[in-house]
Amino acid sequence: MGELIKRAIDTIKAEFNSYSTGVKIALGVMFFLTAGFVIFGIQILFWGLGYTDMSNLYPFGQWIIGDLGLVSLGGGAFTTGFALYIFRNDKLEPIINSTVLIGFLCYLFTFIFLVFDIGQPLRAWFGYTYPNWGEHLMPTSMLTEVIWCLTLYFMILCVEIVPVALKHKVLDAIPALHYVGHYLHRIMWILAAAGTFLSFFHQGSLGGGMWDIMYGKAVWFRAHHIYFFVVIIGATAGGTAFMTLCAYLAGKVMKKEVVPAETFHSIAKISGILFVAFFIARLVDVVLMATRWVPLFDRSYISLQGGLYGLWLLVLEFLLLAVVIVMLLPKKNREQEKRFLIGIIAGVAAITTDKLITVLNGSSVPNFPWRDYIWYWPTIQEWFIMLGGLSVMAMIYMWCAKYLPLFPHAEKHAHHEGKSQAVAE
Amino acid sequence: MAIDLDLCTGCGDCALACAQENNMPVFEDDSDLPKRVQFLDLMKVSNDRDAAYPDVEVCYIPKMCQQCEGNDPKNPKPPCVSVCPVVATDVGDDGIVSQIWSRCIGCRYCQASCPYEARAFNWWKPRYEGDFKKSLNPDVSVASRGTVVKCQFCSHIWKRERDRAVAGGELDINAVTYTPACVAACPTRAMVFGDLDDPGSELSRLLSREKKRTFRLIHTIDEMKEKDEKKWKAMMQAKNYPNPKVYYLTSKAWIKEMMKFK
Repeated sequence: MGELIKRAIDTIKAEFNSYSTGVKIALGVMFFLTAGFVIFGIQILFWGLGYTDMSNLYPFGQWIIGDLGLVSLGGGAFTTGFALYIFRNDKLEPIINSTVLIGFLCYLFTFIFLVFDIGQPLRAWFGYTYPNWGEHLMPTSMLTEVIWCLTLYFMILCVEIVPVALKHKVLDAIPALHYVGHYLHRIMWILAAAGTFLSFFHQGSLGGGMWDIMYGKAVWFRAHHIYFFVVIIGATAGGTAFMTLCAYLAGKVMKKEVVPAETFHSIAKISGILFVAFFIARLVDVVLMATRWVPLFDRSYISLQGGLYGLWLLVLEFLLLAVVIVMLLPKKNREQEKRFLIGIIAGVAAITTDKLITVLNGSSVPNFPWRDYIWYWPTIQEWFIMLGGLSVMAMIYMWCAKYLPLFPHAEKHAHHEGKSQAVAE
Repeated sequence: MAIDLDLCTGCGDCALACAQENNMPVFEDDSDLPKRVQFLDLMKVSNDRDAAYPDVEVCYIPKMCQQCEGNDPKNPKPPCVSVCPVVATDVGDDGIVSQIWSRCIGCRYCQASCPYEARAFNWWKPRYEGDFKKSLNPDVSVASRGTVVKCQFCSHIWKRERDRAVAGGELDINAVTYTPACVAACPTRAMVFGDLDDPGSELSRLLSREKKRTFRLIHTIDEMKEKDEKKWKAMMQAKNYPNPKVYYLTSKAWIKEMMKFK
């Protein structure tokens, strides 16, 4: 047993030392955050949500923002899969394994954050046994829809990720597993189509429907689920930007070309076009809110934009959206590395800001005319669980990028390089 | 329910009676108001937004669950009921929005959707200082940590009264009336409780008599009904009004004015 622990520690040490100093520092920080995630996670699960800054006046906090953000950005997995397998955009082939893994991690951690966020984690399964289906099986609670749809899509992601794992050289050498991986890969378009179908619903439900059905609140209510579709477009746009950013960062850390430039350009173009659609959709949403929905409550839209998370966040979102469009839409901009990078970072930031507005501003708006805006600052427990969770995600991704054929292009490249070196020698 | 704010002195007896009747936990330091568990909140409202000294006035508004109905009385859907993912909350035939503590998973979606901040979450494990535990009400279950709780107009008292009536030979249990703890405790009889569907009830008679003094919380949709019925109908159909069943009465114009956002 002691020998085994020693070997495990040696392996971790060797793994740690194989990275550059910058990555080592980042890994150190991530280990620290992960330790906090474990310690505070136990505290929250066993002693409850009293240790958070959420309250009866501010019932949704940082973890809900995390859920919304992760599902939205993880939505890049279904968009890329759809573009590759259904629209046959073969330029996206080199990035698809990475997007499937990121999608898988995003959804996995959405579940983890949701379990932390509910007051009775041991009753989490009630969502499956007592679902709030309405007439004609239309869910009246968007959370019911989210629980079911997220679960089904997560199952699809689990199946989608199997061929990636099976391509590992050790597993691939076993003939049975090789064939399983091969045939799973052949039917991937069916999974991509099913994933797109499911993802459409829960993207809309969690990002939009969950909020617009709260018809008693001026800040969230929109009739006819228009917001539902706005958020789906946002997830496809932000998700593709996030997938690109992760692959780009992986290339920088691994110091090699993990994905060919034309793949980056192709996905950046898709993202840019989708961001234009999101910009227009969001603008229409804000105009409709200001002119139709909020006045139904005898309130003005601008009066809902006060407090700490008010108008400036809305302006910031639109500024970021403008930056993405300028950087990713024109060909000459997205093919220049710096502008491309600014574009995809702004894309991820714009979608994150959109979620911040939904939760932070939505919860801070006063419900009574004699009350002021309230504010929320997450406690140390909330920060560690959130950032620790994201660190675990990043470390799993790093490990997979190194040991699984996440980037077939990079492996092929390295293989060719090795061959040409051998020939030269 | 109707609450006459002209009679209310803000003594807080209603809140106290409610807490005792419904086994509200008592913590050592209960000054952490946003995390306190209570069904009935006594809101202090002042007109200092619109007036300056010496015209500033203050009133207290007892606020509990408003037992919303939504825009369709035949199919009542309060904002909190439709959002619950596990059907832990529902509207009964009696019109009371109920909550099953032991079904609740603590997602707080109902709390976020409630425009009246009427629901409370048990952030901590319920605790009772000293001898409080001995005086717990056996008719109300103590909610565990991590669940949402709310006012149910003391419907357990109604069940108790119905059982008693049936035991006494009464056959029409719908004729049985009861008084919630807050109404019973009010020293000035500012709170009136009854059946809104029964035009002969004390409550219905009061509301039809005092139409001019009546308002409901934070919405001018009732004023709209008198001014422009067509617009009122359109607004009701837009499904943005929770349509509460708690009415407030006042003769002070500034209180009604304070219900409007400016």
